[in-house]
Amino acid sequence: MLKGVHQKLEHQQTPAFFVHGTSAFSRMVFFCALSIVLMAVDAKLNYLSQIRQAFIGGLHPIERAANIPSELIRDSKKYFAVHNQLVQENYVLKQQEFENSVKLQRLNTLQAENEHLRSLLGGDIPIHPRAVLGDISHTGRDPFRNVVIVNRGSQHNIQAGQAVVDAKGVLGQVTRVYPFSSEVTMITDKSLSIPVQVERNQLRAIAFGQSGNTLDIPYLPSNIDIEIGDKLVTSGLDGIYPAGLAVATVTKIDQDPETPFAKIISTPTAKVSHHLQLLILELPESREAEKKPPSKETNKKEAKPDAKNS
Amino acid sequence: MQKTPNLLLAYGSLLFALLCQLFPSTGQGIVFRPDFMLVVLLYWLFRAPYLCNVGTAWLVGAFVDLGTGSLLGQHALAFTLTAYVALSFQRRLVLFNETQILAFTFALLVLTRFTVLILKLLSGNEMSTWHYFWPAVTGILFWLVIKFVLGAIAHPKSTEAN
Repeated sequence: MLKGVHQKLEHQQTPAFFVHGTSAFSRMVFFCALSIVLMAVDAKLNYLSQIRQAFIGGLHPIERAANIPSELIRDSKKYFAVHNQLVQENYVLKQQEFENSVKLQRLNTLQAENEHLRSLLGGDIPIHPRAVLGDISHTGRDPFRNVVIVNRGSQHNIQAGQAVVDAKGVLGQVTRVYPFSSEVTMITDKSLSIPVQVERNQLRAIAFGQSGNTLDIPYLPSNIDIEIGDKLVTSGLDGIYPAGLAVATVTKIDQDPETPFAKIISTPTAKVSHHLQLLILELPESREAEKKPPSKETNKKEAKPDAKNS
Repeated sequence: MQKTPNLLLAYGSLLFALLCQLFPSTGQGIVFRPDFMLVVLLYWLFRAPYLCNVGTAWLVGAFVDLGTGSLLGQHALAFTLTAYVALSFQRRLVLFNETQILAFTFALLVLTRFTVLILKLLSGNEMSTWHYFWPAVTGILFWLVIKFVLGAIAHPKSTEAN
């Protein structure tokens, strides 16, 4: 009798609310180890960028769908813009266009003259990169990084490392490229640095991104000739940013005689966080490859761009 | 208890949370955005641990990593740890009252944020401000919404009466 009850109990299953299978602890250990390995692989090697690209490419339609409400709001705002405002804007733009066209006429002549003079001196013809217009679709989802997502990707021939500018100056650099979008890291991001030159005295330096929308120029001796209000422009030494683009204006200098280096803070000229459109400049390399077959002599001296991700 | 509709509901709601997570945002609102996927995951870990497990948590974390563009494995590791803590207390939840469960969930959300923060600092990111912990607060609000909505879907009044 007792034996029978015992057998019955043995065949009974554990209720459904108990978790079956391996214990939670061993699972936790396994998956923690797996994530640590993944992190190491992702940080040190580049194998996982393919997976990331495929994932983002697959999510593109979902992202577009999620984007519809905000686009609708934006477009309807545009539609209901006041008539008066539009007329005024039109007037201002026309005036500006007229002024600019006069300037442009002079620029063309000057450019031709400059190229002619350079060729006479045996120098290289300066690079005038072409640009692709991109729309910012949204800011990055990681609050630790200063990035935006642009609606141009590898399908539009965007490559990682391309410089990004706006009308006022340098904005940043393309850091990750997905099929239909790409990630642009702003110059104020901590991971980005940019070779600059002081416009007034041609002093070269490297500016690093800093939190709080500013740039920091470390490693300059405290007796250096730099003043508040000095304009910093790209030096063009890296072969990524064309020379002469405005980067920032020096706003604060701490020259402490105790420390060997001055603390120089500058604010970016480009409106880093106020934009919807930006220009993605072509990499100088791809132009070089295009140009090479017809004329070999002109790019003989051209410096090889080496710092891809400065 | 039927298993199949719950499974569909669980993974459907996780997919919806992924959509919310990927919802593009510009401006200051990003500071307050809750960790949608984590909240939904915790809900299912509490309610149906036979559907969601530590492995699910890892997968959800990996999706968040891919979606946000952070280092692959950061959120996966944090979610795995949180899921383990949540599961080890799961049987005791019946003894808790509403407020205690709420406090426990909040603690788990903060724990996840804290783990991610440490991992980010280790991988060379800069220190963030206190705003970094806002998503835990908004996450609790989202938790209340999720609990109400999913509870209503899973247990309609008519079947409860039966």
